[in-house]
Amino acid sequence: MNIYKIKPIFVFILIVVSYLTFNSCTSISVFSPEAYKQAVDLKVESLNLMSFATMPYADYEEEVIYLNTELDKAFEFSKGRPDNEISTEQWKILIDKGGNLIGGFLKRWEAEGTLSEMFVIEMQLQVSDAFDTIIGLESGKIDPSEFK
Amino acid sequence: MPTFNDFVSTLKSDLLDFAKENLEEYKEELLKDGTLFIEKTKSDIERWTEGLASGALSKEDFEFLLKGKKDLAQMETLKQLGLSQIRITKITNGIIDVVVGSAVKTFL
Repeated sequence: MNIYKIKPIFVFILIVVSYLTFNSCTSISVFSPEAYKQAVDLKVESLNLMSFATMPYADYEEEVIYLNTELDKAFEFSKGRPDNEISTEQWKILIDKGGNLIGGFLKRWEAEGTLSEMFVIEMQLQVSDAFDTIIGLESGKIDPSEFK
Repeated sequence: MPTFNDFVSTLKSDLLDFAKENLEEYKEELLKDGTLFIEKTKSDIERWTEGLASGALSKEDFEFLLKGKKDLAQMETLKQLGLSQIRITKITNGIIDVVVGSAVKTFL
């Protein structure tokens, strides 16, 4: 075996592998079972509470305050994870009280007292899809064990 | 004794097979997701328009739902962006395997 013929090959492989490894590390957070469970639980809780929005807000104020706190916690948890900007931006849109998904819905319920049945049903579909975008992204993330 | 040219030739062929398999699959997934979102949006807006006409939805409800669809589209776009990054990471890891695999096939 001629060592002088092989040397440049290993240098080449080393450069390619180092370059690709470095670039692959600068992308997106790995899968978090905790974040996944949090999103699934909050989806169920949000859709359940929304179904009561045809009734007076005053009767459900405590539940709404509790849900808003849980949603804020999920946002903060997402924000605290490294390389997790995309998921955090999703949470921000979902819970924005000035927006038109769960945050805006709960705000509108508070402002108007009660909401119409068709509006509530249609908003449940939208909020369900919105949570699914977060859950879908999280479940698509690479499991840390795949890097081992 | 295998040469560097043998290695490059093996690597090219392996990378081509890898790219064909991965990129084709990704293109199909993206098209499927995009088409589904457009079809769903169309049927939602049709249903809301009927609700507005029948009085089941107010003008404010209708506007809120439309704006919500815009927010949802942003979240869907973010999901696709994230999944693309994940795909790039997976492809990068796959390329590393192909490079190492080709070297092993050629020299060992």
